[in-house]
Amino acid sequence: MENLANIFVRATFIDNMIFAYFLGMCSYLAVSKTVKTSIGLGVAVAFVLLVTVPINYLINAYLLSPGALARLFEGGAHIDLGYLSFIVFIAVVAAVVQLLEMIIEKYTPALYNQLGIFLPLIAVNCAIMGASLFMQEREYNSIAETFAFALGSGLGWLLAIAGVAAIREKLATANIPAPLRGVGITFIVTGLMAISFMSFLGISI
Amino acid sequence: MNKESNRYTFLFSAAMVVVVAVALTVVSTVLQPLQNENAENEKRQNILQSVKVNVSREASREAFAVYITRQFLVNADGQEIPGDAFAVDPAKEMKKPREERRLPVFAARVDGSTKYILPVRGAGLWGPLWGYVALNDDGNAIFGAVFDHKGETPGLGAEITREEFRSRFDGKTIFENDALVAVRVLKGGQANGPHEVDAISGGTITSKGVETMLKNSLACYEPFLKSLP
Amino acid sequence: MKIPLLLGPLSKNNPILAQILGICSALAVTAKMEPALVMGVSVTAVTALASLILSALRDAIPNRVRIIVQLVVVSALVIIIDQLLKAFAYDASKQLSVFVGLIITNCIIMGRVEAFALANKPWPSLLDGVGNGLGYAIILLLVAFFRELLGSGALFGARVIPEALYERGYANNGLMILPPAALILVGVIIWIHRARNKELIES
Repeated sequence: MENLANIFVRATFIDNMIFAYFLGMCSYLAVSKTVKTSIGLGVAVAFVLLVTVPINYLINAYLLSPGALARLFEGGAHIDLGYLSFIVFIAVVAAVVQLLEMIIEKYTPALYNQLGIFLPLIAVNCAIMGASLFMQEREYNSIAETFAFALGSGLGWLLAIAGVAAIREKLATANIPAPLRGVGITFIVTGLMAISFMSFLGISI
Repeated sequence: MNKESNRYTFLFSAAMVVVVAVALTVVSTVLQPLQNENAENEKRQNILQSVKVNVSREASREAFAVYITRQFLVNADGQEIPGDAFAVDPAKEMKKPREERRLPVFAARVDGSTKYILPVRGAGLWGPLWGYVALNDDGNAIFGAVFDHKGETPGLGAEITREEFRSRFDGKTIFENDALVAVRVLKGGQANGPHEVDAISGGTITSKGVETMLKNSLACYEPFLKSLP
Repeated sequence: MKIPLLLGPLSKNNPILAQILGICSALAVTAKMEPALVMGVSVTAVTALASLILSALRDAIPNRVRIIVQLVVVSALVIIIDQLLKAFAYDASKQLSVFVGLIITNCIIMGRVEAFALANKPWPSLLDGVGNGLGYAIILLLVAFFRELLGSGALFGARVIPEALYERGYANNGLMILPPAALILVGVIIWIHRARNKELIES
């Protein structure tokens, strides 16, 4: 349990997708104008992360990693399908997003009205693909660890976008040099927020 | 044929999948030997570096054959077991239960004496750390050490790969009386004992990662080291 | 008439500065010049080839599976680049690690394919792809130049700030090698770029 809590806390605060790796910046910059919509996008990203990362973990562990095929048939031990992981991961992400969109639209139209517009944006959100690649690189040992990582990453992303949106709402009335307005100041604010997040470095449970 | 018909869409997708799959398989199969060679040569280069033999990655294969006299596996009780030491991934072995571990040892002949090179694995601030520690034939004094990392901060934690940090381990001993203490990495110029070195300033967490890595990895080899004459 | 396609994205229509595309995978590799250069070249190659291939196929691709086809072509190209790097530029591929894979979700590639290549002939699409890739590479190198110079006192790994300056008390700015510096630098670059190209200013 301690290990899981550690992975969760690290993914949320220290290895924050936005502040430490700049992942998902495109939609982050485009949608962070108001708190309400940015929380919508944040929840959608967290949700998709929570579904895709464990699926990709299972595919990676049981099909793609070197020797994984030995379980399925004789001679599989020598096959390394690792080079296919990029294409498989992105296909899973695109398919899951499409499925989620259809499921949510059919069964919970109210949620669809809030999240629906964001879902197509998410298929090419780097945070989603990035989380799957990090999962592969960091070699998590169990599905539980993968869940903890996905949950933490999603929550971290949600925190970041909600936080920056709140600041941007205040900035709307501030007197900022004209060329810096909009995207420019958002970058600098994000940089300053990233510095404050660095104070979490090294904490562990 | 109508471009938007189901039949055409299906045929197009099928053709695309076949073309892409063939292309990727060909590229991967052609390049695989080169990639493996790169990874293996880097491993040889690192192992040689721990006994202070610095060669380029390309030249490491020949140098490895010259300096490394024997490579073998030991179990958790320090007894030699059969197997290919070079192909074993120590990170995977350390995760296994104690009695199933197969631990690689590389013996090198340098300056007329035998050194035992042991792989170490651990975690830094951002990702995995690994390295090789070369011990004198008493299994106690460190002859040399080399470390590498996946994603430590350049200029801070990443400095563990520099000669300046690695050479701090030279001559340190890992046993105190009969107990394994490995090497402690201390903050800010306090190190003076035979089992202590200074940490990297600004890279404390990575330095502590090195300490934990040495302690845990060398502990696996404790019975083997004690069995050395 | 084709020159603007190639050169426009280098300054005024820069994909990062003007269109705010492709920042995701860009900034984490800019602590040093060398990985930034490899990343820039890789993205240029993928953008150019993806634009070329998809533009050549544009009349054959069924509209319903358009996005999937784009993703498959782009991922296949990225896998090939990744394999080539591992075989021929091993050190660079180690430094880039997961960020090679993230080229797939780089918005510049899909953005240019959707906005340009699917509506134009292969040759202009290739130029557009190369131009946007280079525009991206320039910003990456610019950010990396300041981060490596101020953060490590070096360029491409070679020390350029003389030892004498350190002896007089000059110190590397540690903040520059940490992630936040990249964000602040891009903010400042956007500021300068927009001060010179007033029509890009947001109201």
